[in-house]
Amino acid sequence: MGLFTTSKKKGAWTLLLTALILLLVVKWGSSDSLGLGVVERWVRNSYAPLQKGVASVQQGLGQFGTRVLGLQDLKQLLQTEQALNQQLSLENMRLRESQAEVERLRGLLDYRNAQIGQFDLEAARIIGHAPNNWYRTMTVDKGADYGLTLNMPVITPDGLVGKLINVNRSTAQVLLITDREMAVGAIIQPTRENRGIVEGVGDGRLRMINIPYYSQAQDGDLAVTSGISQTYPPGITIGTIRDIQKEANGLVLSASVEPAVNLDRLEEVLIIKSFQVAEAPANQGV
Amino acid sequence: MRALIIVLLPFLALFLQTTFFRSFSIQGAVPDLLLILVIFYSVFNGSTKGAVYGVACGIWEDLYQGRIIGVNAICKGITAFILGRMQGEVFQENILVGVIGVLGGTIINVALLFMISFLAIPGFSLNRAILADVVYHGVYNVIISAPIYIWYLRSSRGGVLREGQSI
Repeated sequence: MGLFTTSKKKGAWTLLLTALILLLVVKWGSSDSLGLGVVERWVRNSYAPLQKGVASVQQGLGQFGTRVLGLQDLKQLLQTEQALNQQLSLENMRLRESQAEVERLRGLLDYRNAQIGQFDLEAARIIGHAPNNWYRTMTVDKGADYGLTLNMPVITPDGLVGKLINVNRSTAQVLLITDREMAVGAIIQPTRENRGIVEGVGDGRLRMINIPYYSQAQDGDLAVTSGISQTYPPGITIGTIRDIQKEANGLVLSASVEPAVNLDRLEEVLIIKSFQVAEAPANQGV
Repeated sequence: MRALIIVLLPFLALFLQTTFFRSFSIQGAVPDLLLILVIFYSVFNGSTKGAVYGVACGIWEDLYQGRIIGVNAICKGITAFILGRMQGEVFQENILVGVIGVLGGTIINVALLFMISFLAIPGFSLNRAILADVVYHGVYNVIISAPIYIWYLRSSRGGVLREGQSI
């Protein structure tokens, strides 16, 4: 006789046992300082080697295909150029923010150059995705072994991707900016209004709320991280402002934000392990 | 052997959902292989066993996601319980049973997820993009359900999932 027999009595006991197991799992699933419970950690660990294997196979297949086509040299050149391009894009992003800051401070007598934030970056490869579209998450192939901890910002040279919400020994889970639980303090770059919040809508889009009613923001302006929350360094591009609308109360505006990063086509990301925020100039009055 | 396969299938399904099928997503949607598996198990084994299997698979998915534990367990458990009523009432050899079962199961599962989201997530609202996502997800589930059902049916009749090799 097996565990699953058809008597109603056994069925009721089985359902009761299932409910009990569910309760225990919920209790053991309580998260620790790295955002994971014992059971969750075990489940995630069981997938990590396989997911890393698949990612390696995919990469290997790509390299094999390239060799077969005799394009290995071209591929190397392309990789070098891409790396350079990424580096320049990052620099450009910081410079753009810096430029805006310089323009803002130019009139001040005690102006001094602010130091641009320096990032301690860790590159990681994406090895897994959320099993459904209710949650917008990704799994990367590096974890606590590489010094990663909760809430570290995740970026690409194009802009903000999200932050770490669970960190395992060898993997970590990234909560994407498009998840409905995500909210990031933002500045509209040309107007410098810094009370905005960009939040995920849950369907792959972003929305910026809390824009002052007097804002001169326009379609096409960039929304960047404000740095107010201290989770994200200031000046990281979030996306492009689209379709600004007045809220029903008339006091604030909201806008759609087109993410700067194509989150469906990501393969590698950069995790900011630490960053230095530029010192605010003394007596600047802004 | 049957028990081992039944335990390993959800592991494999979640693995494929999070890796392989992401490369073949339709407008960002991937099939819910775990749900399809739970539905087929219910259709062949009835409501009670189906509900238990659904809850177990749901917990597994919840633990992998590391978010609100219990949401998928409840949704998949209830979906399996409802779909399990089909056992003995339908001609299982007909492939349409699998396809229609998956269509119905997907609708029930999504409806339950919406209900829980409305109750648990402040400010949750439906919009065209979410609904479009659900439609793509449902269509993908239905398309992929046919070959999986054929395999499941054959395995249940004379293969690794044949009754008699009880857990």
